[in-house]
Formats: sequence, structure tokens, C-alpha cells
Amino acid sequence: MSTHRTLLLGSLILALGCSPLLAAETTAQAMPEYMDMLNHTISVETVKGKEQVPTLARYFADKLEAAGFARSDIETIPVGRTVALVVRYRGSGKGKPFIVHGHMDVVPANASGWKDHEPFKLVKDGPYYYGRGVADMKDQTVALVETFMRLKREGFVPRRDIILTLTGDEETDEFTAEEVAKRYHDAEFALDADGWSGEYDANLKPVMFGVVAAEKGYADFLITATSPGGHSSEPNPDNAIYKLSAAMQKIAAHKFPVQYNGITLASFKAMSARMQGPLAEALRRFAEHPGDAKAAAVISANPAYVGQIRTTCVATEFSSGHARNALPEKATANVNCRIFPGCTVAAVQQQLQRAVADPAIEVSVQDPAPVLGPISYPVLPQVMAAVTQAVRQRFPGIEVIPVMIPASSDSRHFRNHGVPTYGVSPAFAKPGDVHAHGYNERILASELPASLDFWHELLPALAK
Amino acid sequence: MPFVRLLIVACILLIAAWMPPARSETTRQAMPETMDMLRHAIATQTVEGKNQVPVFAQYLAGKLESAGFSKSDIEIIPVEHTAALVVHYRGSDSKLKPILISGHMDVVAANPKDWQRDPFKLIEENGYLYGRGVADMKTNIITLVETFMRLKREGFVPKREMILVFSGDEETDMASTRELAKRYHDAEFLLNADAGGGTLDAEGKPVLFEIQAAEKSYADFLLTVTSPGGHSSEPNPSHNAIYKLAKALDAVAAHQFPVQHNEITLASLKALGTHESGALAEAMRTFAAHPDDARAAAVISADPAYVGQIRTTCVATMLDGGHALNALPQRADANINCRIFPGVSVASVKATLAKVIDNPAVSITVRPPPPVESPASPLRPDVMKAVSATIHERFPGVDVVPGMSSGATDSMHFRNAGVPCFGVSPNFAKANDTFAHGLNEKLPAKEVPAALDYWHSLLTRVTR
Repeated sequence: MSTHRTLLLGSLILALGCSPLLAAETTAQAMPEYMDMLNHTISVETVKGKEQVPTLARYFADKLEAAGFARSDIETIPVGRTVALVVRYRGSGKGKPFIVHGHMDVVPANASGWKDHEPFKLVKDGPYYYGRGVADMKDQTVALVETFMRLKREGFVPRRDIILTLTGDEETDEFTAEEVAKRYHDAEFALDADGWSGEYDANLKPVMFGVVAAEKGYADFLITATSPGGHSSEPNPDNAIYKLSAAMQKIAAHKFPVQYNGITLASFKAMSARMQGPLAEALRRFAEHPGDAKAAAVISANPAYVGQIRTTCVATEFSSGHARNALPEKATANVNCRIFPGCTVAAVQQQLQRAVADPAIEVSVQDPAPVLGPISYPVLPQVMAAVTQAVRQRFPGIEVIPVMIPASSDSRHFRNHGVPTYGVSPAFAKPGDVHAHGYNERILASELPASLDFWHELLPALAK
Repeated sequence: MPFVRLLIVACILLIAAWMPPARSETTRQAMPETMDMLRHAIATQTVEGKNQVPVFAQYLAGKLESAGFSKSDIEIIPVEHTAALVVHYRGSDSKLKPILISGHMDVVAANPKDWQRDPFKLIEENGYLYGRGVADMKTNIITLVETFMRLKREGFVPKREMILVFSGDEETDMASTRELAKRYHDAEFLLNADAGGGTLDAEGKPVLFEIQAAEKSYADFLLTVTSPGGHSSEPNPSHNAIYKLAKALDAVAAHQFPVQHNEITLASLKALGTHESGALAEAMRTFAAHPDDARAAAVISADPAYVGQIRTTCVATMLDGGHALNALPQRADANINCRIFPGVSVASVKATLAKVIDNPAVSITVRPPPPVESPASPLRPDVMKAVSATIHERFPGVDVVPGMSSGATDSMHFRNAGVPCFGVSPNFAKANDTFAHGLNEKLPAKEVPAALDYWHSLLTRVTR
């Protein structure tokens, strides 16, 4: 082979290697298409009962096909009256695929409670976009679809398959998540875009970015007391309401044992470094001497932190009686528990029964049967590194730490099927500012292009 | 005047003096008409919301008119969606205050699906009459109307005027009762056919007959606690409406109102004490003789059926708290149903509850409709005697004793308006055998002719 030819070949290879970049789009270029899709997506009322998830899935499928995805790589999986959408971005290598995950459904919205805007319309007002699902989580679902389209148009070819899984009932039954997790359990890991990762302080200064590596288990227990009933003019001390009241007080006083794991210790250490006062001191001490009783007491006294070191159970509803002038025959309460990873539903049930200390009071698990999941810790190093780099492109130096959240998401279905799963959402927010599930759900407009940047950076980095 | 003419006149006068008994009807003769009217009465669904009380009142008015009552002596008073019926049986001495005889034409609702037989069809089976209202209280409405018709046809003229005052919403709002009490409070006394009555033992032997001379006031209090709410994953046991209310209910459960008595309860406990045996009977006898005896009071208080005879009682009957399984409660409510001893004000009971609960965070309000405070009716020897004589015609020697009921009958409005009221229902029944307000309401069939005998005898006695 002559030098000349070698040179020519080298140039050719170089040109080939560069060719994707030739079609590269900037985020600014991608934004109109993204906003157009988000606008449409918000208007499709994907709440339970309206059966609009299949419609939205078809819309995404058409968009992806138009961007160059083969029809055979786009699959709609019907589950009951909803669907999951799975899109395979074919890679060149044989490495295990990884999953990026989101959901298409939203919680219902009662229009009369929304202040100035219709819930199913994307509206810009001040620094915010408003609309049901704009923060939970159509912003990210559409960002993922847009990023897949953009990368495909750019000619990007990952080294391994990237599987986009979008579920259709995360807010209700989670049947689609279970189905998808069962089918794609051989993925190396999953990124769940339905996380609450980035936190701003009140002045919109970024505070931290959490990689959700664990979530607490969710279970509702029904506490039931019964009594003979009868006419209220003949009050019998054997009164279901009084028995339930006594049980409530015992549950109020009961404390589940202190627990910890690598995630909580790491997040305490990181959080305490930028906090001050007794709580910061307690978090620091707890991180150094896990289980320190005095530190645990301080942390337990704070409602926002107690769940990080214990299973918590709290009475959320109770009801009894069928007439004002009749003695109750039955009194029931719902006790909502957030179960520390590693603890079982049965163990919590047993502890509640013991706390109530009255064999006549029934403690049962409410339907649907709770699904608990393991933790995904330690976080895979390449995931931690890639996420950190993607976040720091926007906010240099920001702390990226593994966290455990009290809420439950689709993630635990993947974790239960052996797929380490990390919640990473690029949209930053002030605590309590987005009103997810509530009235006037909103997101800072700045987070939308930032999300496109993030995914466009992160997916290729992980697919190398 | 010649002697012959005088003789003729004397003969005529003599014959005339014999005349009225010639037209007297036996109860047996009155039965077919009574049963016919009762059948019609049960079929007329005078439950709240069906607006059938005015129709029923019109039917009764038509019957009375055909028996000889003048149109001007029958009045139907429309009150909202119901009506009251008033029938004047004019007396010969217009200077005497009238006697009121009360009842109600409405019945509590009945769901045919839950009944073994059609609730709105009079069915006779195994010696019982079945149907909604047979015991509470259409049988007495009809036997009273029949007795008025019968007396009128017999040519009976009372010395003192009798007025039937039938309400149309005793089971619900008592708006028609309030209207009647407002119009007819200038009466000598009132006989209520919907209170008092006889008790049979398990073998069907008469035990005693009670004249209701007092009733406890009925009041519902609403306890309300609010708390900030929030996500159930961040529980704050010290700000939980359910826990605070549970503590308040504990205090209410533990509280006993002071021991009280009046001439009616002492007479009634004395009689009960001689009919029962064992520790409770002994305590009743002791209490009747020494109302300050604390040990006797303790024994009576321990029995749900009798505690109300010596104290105001309050009991929790309903609970309602929380709005979602996974949200901390923002509000928790309880209904406290109180039966207040005659002479005790509703305001003082409210004050006691506040003191016992001892937590200003628990709001206590009196629920509408406004409770009616009713004084005990002073016992009248003439009424006691007339009722005793009438009862003894059926059951010679049976004890006739005054009693205080737990409320709330139409009488409370008349007592509140200053009319002494005596509940004198003719019906004898075994304890818990009639299922008034419940499923498959029934009454022994022989109570119908017995009631006809009773009213005919009692009304002629008290108006002589």
C-alpha cells in the first residue's frame, strides 16, 4: 500500500468518523420541534380512564419513524387499556443495552382548581410553563424522544443498543412498567428520567444533583376495629371509635428502628457539608457513626429527614359510623408506610400489630399488593461519571450524590428484575415549586433546553 | 200540661237518654275498616323525599269527614314538602283547655331489596303484621283516626275538646312538629301515641307499662381538628389532625357526666328494680331510695341500657378524616352524640366537653338542627289513673310507671312550648321484637284490636 493510498484511506476513515458531526444540530435548532411536540403532548389527556396513552404513543412512534427509526425497532405493547412504547436505538457493538425510561401518563387535573390556565394546554406565563404533566413528566418524555430523533438525524451510532421505554400507567397501576421490566431485564442498567434530581435554592442557585439509587417501599395498611353497635342512647364502652383512637395514639408514638445504607450515609455526608445547625451536625455524625442514637433522635425529629433513617408510618385517613345516633359497628384507618429498603411489608405489618397491642384490632395490607425493590448501590462508576459530567457542563462543580427518595416510581420494577436503576432528571427546581400532581403544575422555562443538552450529552457518553 | 202529654214527654226523654248506646260499635265491628285503612296507610310511602305525607293526610281527612267531622274541624297544614294534620273533636265545655293527641304520619325509609317482604305492603304472617310503619307508628295513627270516627258515629261528645295533632316529618326534620307546637301550645296536656308503652317478657307475659313523662335532649357535637397536611412521606406526629382528634376522643370516652335524678327516674327505677333481680335490680332499688348512693350509681352506670337514666351521656358515633391514602390529613372530624338529662343545658354540655378535651386546637360546635331542650313533665295523678284503668282492662294488675326516654320524640317540642306530655302508646311488645327503623318491621297482630279498645276507653276517660 503506497503512502499516498494510506493517506487517502486515512482521510476517508477520518471523514467517515467525522460524518455524524456534519449533520449535528444545536439545541437551539432542536427547540422548535421539541416545543411543538411538548405542546401537543400536554394537550393529549393521558389520564386514567380516558385511554389516550395509545394515541400519544402512536404520535411518538410516527415522529421517531420520520426521524429515521425503522418501524421494526418501534414497538407498542398493549397492557389492559394502556400501552408501553419501546424504541430500540440499534448499536454497533454487542454490549448489554441500557434503558432510558419515562412515562406518558399523567395524574388527573380538575380544571376548576387551576388558577389562570387550562390544565391540558401548554402555557407560558412569566418564567414558567404551565400544564398538567409539564413537570411530571412529559417535559422529559418528549426530551427523550427529541434526543433520539436528533441523534438519529445526526447519524449517531451507539456502541450498544439504547432502549427507550415509555410506560402508560406509572401514576396508577404500574402494570406497563412491570411488563417492560420483565421483557428487558437483561439491560445493564436503566436511567429513569422521572426523578427529582436537581435542586435550586430560593435564589435559583443550584444546590445539588441527586442520582436516585433507592426508593422507599410504599404500603397502605388498613386498621380495623369493630364493636357491637346499637343505639347511641345506650352507649357501650366497647366502641370501635374509641378502640381505633387508642390504636392511633399508639401508632403515633411508635418508632421503627433506625436504619441506613451506603446511599443515605453518602447523601448525609454531602448534605451536612453545606448545611449548618444541629440537624447538619446530626447528619454529619450519623454519616460517620452510623446509628448514633443522639444523632438519630435529632434527625427523627425533622419530618423531612426522618424517612431517611427509618421506616415511617402515619395515619392518613379514618372513618367510622353510619348514623349520628347509632353506635359505630366498625372504625377503620389507613396507615401509610414508607418502608426502608431491606425491610419487608410483612415485618412492618407485624410491628404495627405489636404497636397497637390489641389482638381485636386487625391490621391488613391494602390493595394493590405493595411492590418493594432493592437499592441500586453502589452506583455503577461509568454512570456516576457520565451523569456528573453531563450535569457539570451546565453547573460546573455541582455536587452529584446518590440519594434515596421517599416516593415510588417505575424504577423499582426494573430493580426487582435485576436492573440497577438510577433516577436522573435534568430539570432543576426549587423545593415545592413544581406542584406535581397538584393545581398549576409548572416548570421553569430554562429547564427545557437544558434537558435537551443533558440527554444529548449523556446518552452518547454512556453508549460509547 | 196534661198528665198524658207529660207522660209521653217523659217517655220520649227516657228513650232519648237510652239512645246513644244503641249506636255503639264493638271493636270487632270496627276492625275491618281499621285494617282496610292500615293497608292503605302502609302502601302510602310516606318516607322523606316522596312527598306522600300530604296525600296520606288528605286520605285520613276524607275518612274523618265521612264519619261526621265537619270540614272546618279538619286542617291540613303544609310545611315544606310535608304536612301536619289537625282534627278537632269539639267538647261541650269550651272553657276547658283541650287535650292534644299526637302521632306522626311519616316513616323511615325502607329499601325493598333488603326486606324479606315488600315493605310497603301490609302482610299478616304467623300472628304478626309486617310492613314499614306497622310499629312506628301507622298502626296507632290509624287506630286513633278509627277511634275518632267511631266515637263520632256513636254520638259521643267529650266535655273537653280533643285535638289530633299528627306531624309529617318526625323521623327527619320535625319542621311540622315545630309548627304544631307553635300553634297548639295552649293545651291542658298531650298524649303521645309514639312513646311509652308496654313490655312483654320472653314468654309474652306483660311486665310493665311505661308512661313517658320526660325525655333527654338530643344534641350532636362536631369535633374538628385541622393540621397543615402535606406528603405522607414526611410525617409529623405532633401536627396530625387524626392523632389530635384520637386523643380528644380518648378523653371523651373516659369522662362521666354527673349523676342526676328526678321524680320520674326514681319512680321508674323503683319499679324496674322490683321487676328485675340481681345486682342491677338491687342497685336500682337502692338508688330509688337513696339517689346519692355512689355504689348503686356505679352499678347502674356500668349497664349501657340504664346509664342514661342517671346521667347525661355522650358517645362518639362517627369519624371522618383525611383525603388521600398518601397525604397527611388536613382535617379530622368526629360526631359526638349526647343525650342530655332534662334540666341540663346544651351549652353546659359543650362547655364540659371542651374542659374534658382540654385542647383549644379541637373545635367543638353544636350541629344543626338546633337541639331542643325539654323539661320533664310534672306527673299528673288524673292521667296516671286514667291510663292505669285503661291498661288494667287488658292486663289487670300490671304496673303502670312513669319513665324517661332517651329522646327524641315529637313531645320535646311541645314540652319545650310548655305542654306537659305523656307518652302512652298502647302497644305491648317483647324487647327488640319490632325492628322499628330496621328491616322487616313487625307488630303482633293482636295489638290492633287492643289499640282500638284502649283508645276508645282512654279518650272517653280523659275527656269526661
